[in-house]
Amino acid sequence: METILSFEHVNAGYGRVQILNDLTFEVKKGEVYGVIGPNGCGKTTMFNALIGLIIPTQGTITFDGHNVTKVSANTRCRMGIGRTYQVPRPFEGMSVFENVLVAAVHGAGHNEKDGARVALDALKLTELYDKREIRAGELTLLDRKRMEIARALGTEPKLLLLDEVAAGLTEAEVQDVMKMVANLKAAGYSIIWIEHVIQTMVESTDTLMCMAEGHNLIVGNPVEVMNSKLVEDVYLGVEEDE
Amino acid sequence: MKKAENLSTRQQPIRVLGGLPMLIIGIILVAVLVVLVFVGSSNTRRILTNVFLYCTMACMWNLLSGFTGMTSLGQQTFVGVAGYSMAVMVTTYGMSYIVGWIVGGAIGAVLALVLSLILFRMRGMYFAIATWVIAEALKTWFTSWGFVGKGGGMTVAGRPDRTMVCLLALILCVVAIVLIYFLLNSKIGLGLTAMRDDADAASSVGVNIFRSKLICFVIAGLFCALAGGLYYRYNGTILPGSGFDIEWTVSLVFIVIIGGIGTMAGPIVGTVVYIALDEFLAKYSGWSNIILGLIAILVILFLPDGILGTLQKKLHFEILSQRRFSKE
Repeated sequence: METILSFEHVNAGYGRVQILNDLTFEVKKGEVYGVIGPNGCGKTTMFNALIGLIIPTQGTITFDGHNVTKVSANTRCRMGIGRTYQVPRPFEGMSVFENVLVAAVHGAGHNEKDGARVALDALKLTELYDKREIRAGELTLLDRKRMEIARALGTEPKLLLLDEVAAGLTEAEVQDVMKMVANLKAAGYSIIWIEHVIQTMVESTDTLMCMAEGHNLIVGNPVEVMNSKLVEDVYLGVEEDE
Repeated sequence: MKKAENLSTRQQPIRVLGGLPMLIIGIILVAVLVVLVFVGSSNTRRILTNVFLYCTMACMWNLLSGFTGMTSLGQQTFVGVAGYSMAVMVTTYGMSYIVGWIVGGAIGAVLALVLSLILFRMRGMYFAIATWVIAEALKTWFTSWGFVGKGGGMTVAGRPDRTMVCLLALILCVVAIVLIYFLLNSKIGLGLTAMRDDADAASSVGVNIFRSKLICFVIAGLFCALAGGLYYRYNGTILPGSGFDIEWTVSLVFIVIIGGIGTMAGPIVGTVVYIALDEFLAKYSGWSNIILGLIAILVILFLPDGILGTLQKKLHFEILSQRRFSKE
């Protein structure tokens, strides 16, 4: 399979605090690539570096054959990287429809008429169509997460970044999210999915990476990764030899 | 009038007041104002000129703060620079005030372009303070600059044709409102509202933050400069202390907050209220600012969306709204 994204020896952080530490991995076209790791290991920072909110101090990020290491966030979006946020960040003063329309017009480059069609399709796919005229600030948590995905889809991404979309949801809601991700994969999207709900990762991803201290600890088949001693040590801690 | 169906069970449909009926109302209103400019007394013309100029600047401040998230405390920079440019062109170089006015506007726009390189590196409070500091620095510079009369300021040569200045102020105000309406209803406008709510999230869905901010900041700089030029042609004298006074922006903040920040027509309502209060309180000069401050506090406490913003929310309508509906 063709590679859509690669990180090569990337160092990045906030000011003088370096979070990503020689991070290297690659994502194939059409796969769901899961990312796990303990809090503070750099998962969300990896997304921030990937979409261009922070610029790496070292290393290379290649997306769809282009070096995007220093490309601005809005340009990367137009190149086909769509992201959701861990804590949903709706444009609260706008309606759900307008939230997705912004993405379709600015992210995918449509005029407003065509953008409206793309936005409505995204809202149907995420089951928000009936709530399209509600002010985004009034949505429930699940609907906010749906809208994050709809907004990312509005940009017509080649690569979709999901940041803990299942966090804080009930079991039934998590199943809904997993079904939605399966539909998105079937529709041909490449997906990177950060999540703490381990069962979700095992069932929904094709490849799983575990991060620790800003680097790639282990990557491979989700079941094998979850059974690995390295992952167990990272999550449960390692007993020091006396 | 277009009635947009809202499918939310919790919200009533919002009635958007726009299109042809608002255009007809607008044309009638402008026609009445044009007649007033020509047949009104000199005092009426003075009040109208102030309404038009403050309304222009307030609409621009609303564009910056209410729609773009850039709260500037330094719009007086453009007023002062354009006022002095006009005074220099007329008094020092003997040009007509129209030329001076246009040159002042152009300098304001170019200055906004240059300042954006520094200011856009900052956000929120830092941006606000930086805009204020620039105005204060210019005030200090102009106070010691011999070419513009130092602290004594400049008197604009010749007697102003106040009817013509008042008419130009009306035209400027109408152009400003129409321009903002079309800007907000354009692709850029869609991104501006998103940017105001969350700039990082807007950027990550493709909104070009720098370009959008730049367009708004330059337009606001241009129109505040043009308003400043007309104001000082009408009044005839400019001093560093008045041209670059923070009170310009304080007035704009007051107007926009009491009218309704982030609404198209809020600054128009706010300007009428402000000028009416200003005229009424002129006889209580020592108290006027205190009373205006108290009114602002009361409005913020009891009508946090401003007069028009609150009315729009309660009665479910929006004047000249930039809202988009799905039309399905």
